[in-house]
Amino acid sequence: MTPKPPKRATVPGYAQRLTGWILSRSALLLRRLSKGRVETATGVTVGAVWVLIAPLFFVCGVIDWLDGGPDVVALLVSGFVIQLVGFSILRFSKFPSILPVARLFTAFVSGAVAALIAATIAHLVTGVAPTIDVALVEASATVTGTNATTVEPETVSLGMMLFRSLGQWLAAAAMIIVLVRILPHLGVGGLDADGGVATRSARRLAPRSSSTMVRLLTLYMGLTLLLAIAYFAAGMPLVDSVIHSLTTISSGGFSSHSGSIGAFDSPAIEWVAIVGMIIAGTSLPLMFRALRRGDLHRFVRSIEFRTYIGLIITAVVAVLAWSDKWPTADNLRETFFWVTSAISTTGYVAGNLSLVSYGSEALLLVLMVIGGMSASVAGGFKVMRFMVLGSYIGRELRRSIHPSVVEKIHLGKSSIGEVALARIIGELFLATMVILAMVLLFTADGLNFEAAFSFAISALSNVGFAFGLGGPNEHLQALGAVGHLSGALLMLIGRVSITPILVSLGGIGEPLQRDIRRWRQTRHEKAVR
Amino acid sequence: MASNSARKGSSLRRPAVTPVRVAGAGLLAVAFAMIVSAAVAVIDGGGAAAGLTTAALITASVGCALFFGSKVSPSADSALAFASVAWSWLAVSLAGALPFLLTGVVSWAHFDDAIFESVSGFTCTGSTILTDFDSVPQGLLFYRSMTQWLGGMGLVVLAVAVLPALGIGGLDLIASEAPGPTADRLSLRVRDTARRLWLLYGAVTCIVAMLLFLVGMSVFDAVTHAFTTIATGGYSPRAESIAHFDSVAIELVIIAGMLYAGANFSVHWHALSQGIGAYRRVSEIRWYLSLIAGAFGLLLWVNNGELELFRNLRESLFYAVSLGSNTGFGSSNYVLWMPAAHLTLLILMLVGGMSGSTAGGMKVLRLQVIFRYSFRELMRARHPNAIIPIRLGRTTIEEQIASKVVGFVLLYLGLIVAGGVILSGLGVDPVTAFSGSVSALGNVGPALGEAGPTSNFLVFPRAGRLVLMAMMALGRLELFPAMLMLVASLRGLNRMHRQREDTKSP
Repeated sequence: MTPKPPKRATVPGYAQRLTGWILSRSALLLRRLSKGRVETATGVTVGAVWVLIAPLFFVCGVIDWLDGGPDVVALLVSGFVIQLVGFSILRFSKFPSILPVARLFTAFVSGAVAALIAATIAHLVTGVAPTIDVALVEASATVTGTNATTVEPETVSLGMMLFRSLGQWLAAAAMIIVLVRILPHLGVGGLDADGGVATRSARRLAPRSSSTMVRLLTLYMGLTLLLAIAYFAAGMPLVDSVIHSLTTISSGGFSSHSGSIGAFDSPAIEWVAIVGMIIAGTSLPLMFRALRRGDLHRFVRSIEFRTYIGLIITAVVAVLAWSDKWPTADNLRETFFWVTSAISTTGYVAGNLSLVSYGSEALLLVLMVIGGMSASVAGGFKVMRFMVLGSYIGRELRRSIHPSVVEKIHLGKSSIGEVALARIIGELFLATMVILAMVLLFTADGLNFEAAFSFAISALSNVGFAFGLGGPNEHLQALGAVGHLSGALLMLIGRVSITPILVSLGGIGEPLQRDIRRWRQTRHEKAVR
Repeated sequence: MASNSARKGSSLRRPAVTPVRVAGAGLLAVAFAMIVSAAVAVIDGGGAAAGLTTAALITASVGCALFFGSKVSPSADSALAFASVAWSWLAVSLAGALPFLLTGVVSWAHFDDAIFESVSGFTCTGSTILTDFDSVPQGLLFYRSMTQWLGGMGLVVLAVAVLPALGIGGLDLIASEAPGPTADRLSLRVRDTARRLWLLYGAVTCIVAMLLFLVGMSVFDAVTHAFTTIATGGYSPRAESIAHFDSVAIELVIIAGMLYAGANFSVHWHALSQGIGAYRRVSEIRWYLSLIAGAFGLLLWVNNGELELFRNLRESLFYAVSLGSNTGFGSSNYVLWMPAAHLTLLILMLVGGMSGSTAGGMKVLRLQVIFRYSFRELMRARHPNAIIPIRLGRTTIEEQIASKVVGFVLLYLGLIVAGGVILSGLGVDPVTAFSGSVSALGNVGPALGEAGPTSNFLVFPRAGRLVLMAMMALGRLELFPAMLMLVASLRGLNRMHRQREDTKSP
């Protein structure tokens, strides 16, 4: 079969050009602004994030004004202040001529923290969150795309609702940029856009990364639009369908109703949400390549996609098999909904979570940890990394019988380098340690064991719902300030992954570290003498 | 397995199958335990002597057939060692179930429960399915403790030590059975190493038994508790475990025993011959002690206000050591404690004792390697071209061993999750299921939730107990030998076949 010639539809062409224009304009603006004296990548990043996030405040403020909501002044003023501060930081800082990897880590993390701060301010000034810890955890949920909240969505004004949903959507879009542009340089194992072979993709992808970025973002927007239409066609009100499409495709999960998707009580809407969530967990580059040529066989060829779909189907079958009733269409839909909501880390809720069996509860937690495909906007540890770990275990088993065998780990056609492998493993162990520490804090703050564990897993994977309490979303309400802060931190760790955070923290403490090392060395030398 | 090898034994030329011979040796050791228990039963007069003797006869005859019917194959490699250890443990666990069935304590309809009790004994887990301890004859209770004592240091190690006729050497064999990623050589000859380990083990058991007797236990209780303390097993002939005695002195003796048994026996040997400085050279022991001390502090803090101070000190210390060495004795019901305490206990169960000890779990050494490995990745993220060795104290771990450890830990965590999901699927609540999974794989005994220290493992469904049984065996054999049992055996069979072809052809 000869490959089909590339078809270029006109509408995506326009969309692509539009996205490209927006991106290049904002990049130009940032470049023109950042001509200050101080060479700091962190300053540039923080300033850029605040300058670019401020329009979100204005848009939401205006929409709130049109809707007659109460938050218009607060949003506009805080947006203006953030814009101003962002501009001034940018004005004084300059992108450094040389950038060590450690600084890049710090810049990346501080960008996420800057977005977090902006969202916290929005929650505080509009009065959605009464105290700073609640505001912080709400903002963290917005920025990381987690459906964990303490507020009733019905009590929030339309402007703020849109702010939260658009925040999730934009954060996921920013994550795509990070995937393409930054992670290949950082080499956070297995997360970057080329499917995780970190060392190789850093070389291969960087030169054409801006066009890749534009394409992926266009696809992302197109999917959002399609999903909004689908929701609308399935019978959702217009505003709701926009909000839900934003939070579905970004695997965020905020809803305009306290019952989430379940509030609509419509099988059609649930099916649309299921499809949307599966898409959200799928690798964007894979989708782009497959859709560009109309070559759907690419999906079948991708071993990660096969595993991802296989996991969903296996989980559904297992849950249905474990329930003692004969499955009906409703059961099937509900099971599919829970499974996709967990594995795509969206965190939508439909039906009664306390009714699921113990087996499906355990399975859903495992799916949360696994998460979506690599290079998707979903959270979790990613399917690809677990596949790599599986082959690693297999290799070690074989090695224990044949001690001198030399074996490379393959995933489909590409082989995984030892460096990327070690990074994936390091990441997993560090994340496990963080989870245990956080569970301790949650239990100390009054959650029971099951609730603490499931909420920690859920927060780290950016899902949102958890088990062990009366409802799926009551965990944050049950927690105190310590729990809120650690929850916010956990979500942030889940989104930007643990290595960058620890490395940038290490960057802060580096002079101290050096002193300690020198002190220990001199002490040791003295002892030797 | 048994009939298969009996056929092999009857042929005139003894086939060279190491696994069969090792399994036979293991069975002989178990038969010895049964005879001793039968003697105890006779002295006690509480019955069960006949059942134990019958079981001993059956086990001994099968063991003799296997042992004398085969010889050791000339070649030795790790695959063969894996197969030997795994098959002998399978044979021993099956034979070990006989006394429970023959004395009628467990009915034949529930033969899987008898095997559960036997596996739980030999793997030093200490999860029990017995409910009414008063109706169980003393001889059988003694036998139960003795299975743990035999399993603690390892049946194969024992066989290597006391049976010169076994004629097998190779550190591989000991390394496959001993807990931990590597085995220390205590002497140039492997048999001497095995002998020294068992000598130390026996001596310490005697000391603990005497101490327990001195602080007020009866002879029977002292001996059985010494067995299960030094084996870090956790079976107690009393239903309430250590709480039955309610004596601070007894608890202190047992705490000291568990703490000793959870540390590396090779280091103990070195310490005996070279002085106390041997302990200071091992960084693992610092980690082990600080882990337990940290858990003790955390438990004290969490239970502060829940329990009165003295009670809190006593119970927190007891459980920090009992679960930190994966023994699983109970002095109260910790299920009633706060959730934060449960997490602490769960982490202790997961990590377990030191490598080369009788304790189960993931082992402190592996935790150390994992820590170093992860922090090396952090360093490498900052300095991508740095070459950083993994150091534990002053020794450097080879890359190959580090990656073996990493593979082990990944597999270990994976099995815990898999076990937890399967158990939840069978209808156990997730806390009980996952903690049961941790407890079984770590050979601890009690779990959290419904399967606490005052409960028994009948709270799990029958299929769930089978899963737990498999996990106990996997955990005691440190995953790899048990997982590779079939692969290694097939490899061995292939090689035998090839050798036979070779001898025929010229």
